Amino acid sequence: MKITRIYIYLMYIIVIFCIISFISEEHYIIASLLFLGNMLPGYAMAMSLMENNEN
Amino acid sequence: MINEQVYRRFNHTVAACFVIYFLFPEYILEIKREYYILLFWILIITVEYLRLNKDLKVIGMRDYESNRIAGFVWFATGTCLILELYELGFVPQSLAIATIIMAAYTDPLIGEANQRFGDKWGIGLGLLSSFLIYQLIIGVLFYSIIGSMVAVASERPKIKWFDDDLAMQIIPILVLTVLSLMDFSPDLPQNILGGKL
Repeated sequence: MKITRIYIYLMYIIVIFCIISFISEEHYIIASLLFLGNMLPGYAMAMSLMENNEN
Repeated sequence: MINEQVYRRFNHTVAACFVIYFLFPEYILEIKREYYILLFWILIITVEYLRLNKDLKVIGMRDYESNRIAGFVWFATGTCLILELYELGFVPQSLAIATIIMAAYTDPLIGEANQRFGDKWGIGLGLLSSFLIYQLIIGVLFYSIIGSMVAVASERPKIKWFDDDLAMQIIPILVLTVLSLMDFSPDLPQNILGGKL
């Protein structure tokens, strides 16, 4: 479970890193797509992690 | 336990980040960047081998994946294949980027829509999502319309040895690449990223 948790945090870091990289290269459309596409699943994942913490 | 379906969906959408590859320099630690694709693919195959043969626990697997190749392997194989085809000069960068992002988002969206609202919504939202992604990245209606139809059609058949995670990447990119070579087809922007990270 601990490894899964680390892996999930790593996924958040990867998404943020990629978005920032594309913004810094002025590829705003791709950066926006990465943000929009991961926003909902990322939010749902965070909710699931928090519920898991409470339990 | 965390919600495994949410975990699967998040894994799928994060796969769109593979497009960061196009910002990488040609050489990383004096090794050509395309070799890292191979290295990554071998890593994925190793994890899958351990999961299937040595009881390695990987969460987020569906029941039917317990004795067959998992979705993440098919997806990674499709993406690695696209990146290699790009490096070999067989597919344009614009199509590679659009197809990887499209497959990463459209497949889970269709799955979610099918479950919640039924198959028709799955097809409709799948077409809309893939069309928008192709149109935003490539910007040519001809390719966006055909690409979205081919992508959604590739998702439908359920074949054990040719998963939709692979089909949704390989079939649209090959169809669009072949079309772009035809005389009657509109011009396709080849490279949309030129920068180095």
